[in-house]
Amino acid sequence: MLAKGTHLTGTSLFLCRREPFSRRHDSLFVSTPILNDDSRADELLAIRCQLGERAAFADLIDRWHEPLWRYLRRLADSNQTADDLVQDTWVRVLRGIAGLRDATRLRPWLFGIARRNAMDRLRAQYTRPTDGDAALENLAAPEVDASLEADLAALESGLETLPARERETLALFYLRELSIDQIATLLEVPPGTIKSRLFRARQLLRDQLATKGAST
Amino acid sequence: MNPEALSKVKARALAGAELSLAARLGYVGLLLVSAALTTVVVALWFTEPSLPSRTQIAFGAMSVIGVSWMVLAAWALKVRRPLFARDRVIAGGMAVTFSGVFVVGCVAAAIVAGGAAAYGALATSVVMLLAAIGALAGARRRFAELVARRQVLETKA
Repeated sequence: MLAKGTHLTGTSLFLCRREPFSRRHDSLFVSTPILNDDSRADELLAIRCQLGERAAFADLIDRWHEPLWRYLRRLADSNQTADDLVQDTWVRVLRGIAGLRDATRLRPWLFGIARRNAMDRLRAQYTRPTDGDAALENLAAPEVDASLEADLAALESGLETLPARERETLALFYLRELSIDQIATLLEVPPGTIKSRLFRARQLLRDQLATKGAST
Repeated sequence: MNPEALSKVKARALAGAELSLAARLGYVGLLLVSAALTTVVVALWFTEPSLPSRTQIAFGAMSVIGVSWMVLAAWALKVRRPLFARDRVIAGGMAVTFSGVFVVGCVAAAIVAGGAAAYGALATSVVMLLAAIGALAGARRRFAELVARRQVLETKA
């Protein structure tokens, strides 16, 4: 099992948590350390919003819009759908943040709303009864870039080919810096399930990258 | 402009509309006014002796309308336009002021006209005033807690 921060392959890629507000592309794994300042900044932002400071909402959107958009883009089948979902998410956030009891939980709370929003949309879109995970499987057909030239592109492509559940878990853990317990709460599954999904996701990703490496 | 950036521009515009303070306080005003008017109507309805049936029906209809406005305002404040801590302090101040004026009006009506309707409305207005004072105190306490926590976090930063 790969530990955080260990090499995935013989390439220069790292599987570590990234700095969450990096301007870099979301799919890149960047080996920057976890900053406690981020948690404090999140709590401060949540409290400013709860106080009703209008400028704080602009800051909240500046800070979290792109991560939410990218997260939803992974669940949606198009940019337009992701756009609709993220706008709906913001409406729910703006209407709900006054009732957020624990401001330190801003990050999982935001992604929880985004995920529920996506699930609601999917349930409406697919008329047959389905649970969230099954619906996810129907989304975002895997795409493989045939012209992979760089490791980062290979990693991104590998990520896209993962099953939706593993892809989502991996993204929440590494890209969004949510803890296993937070992801378990968010996805409403036991922490052990999250661990097994992470394990499987890492293996699949490693296999994908190894296959790509062998074929090129 | 990439899709994410364009989407962010839309989100900020959306927030501007969602966070309208005037809309929030408008619902607070609607709640207060509809509560006061409903109180007066109900007090008259139940205390005036031997009202003709047409008048009773009219009072009943007016009471239903008043309660409907109250429910609408309360629902909007809970779901569509929830009040933030600072808004709650403002709304609490509005409620105390409005209820105070309502109490004064009911006292004047009780002194000038007397009667069970005036006393009934006065009793209800006093209850409204006490509830408003309680809401304002709670809002101030919550606001102070959040400000204190913000200061701690800003100091650490």
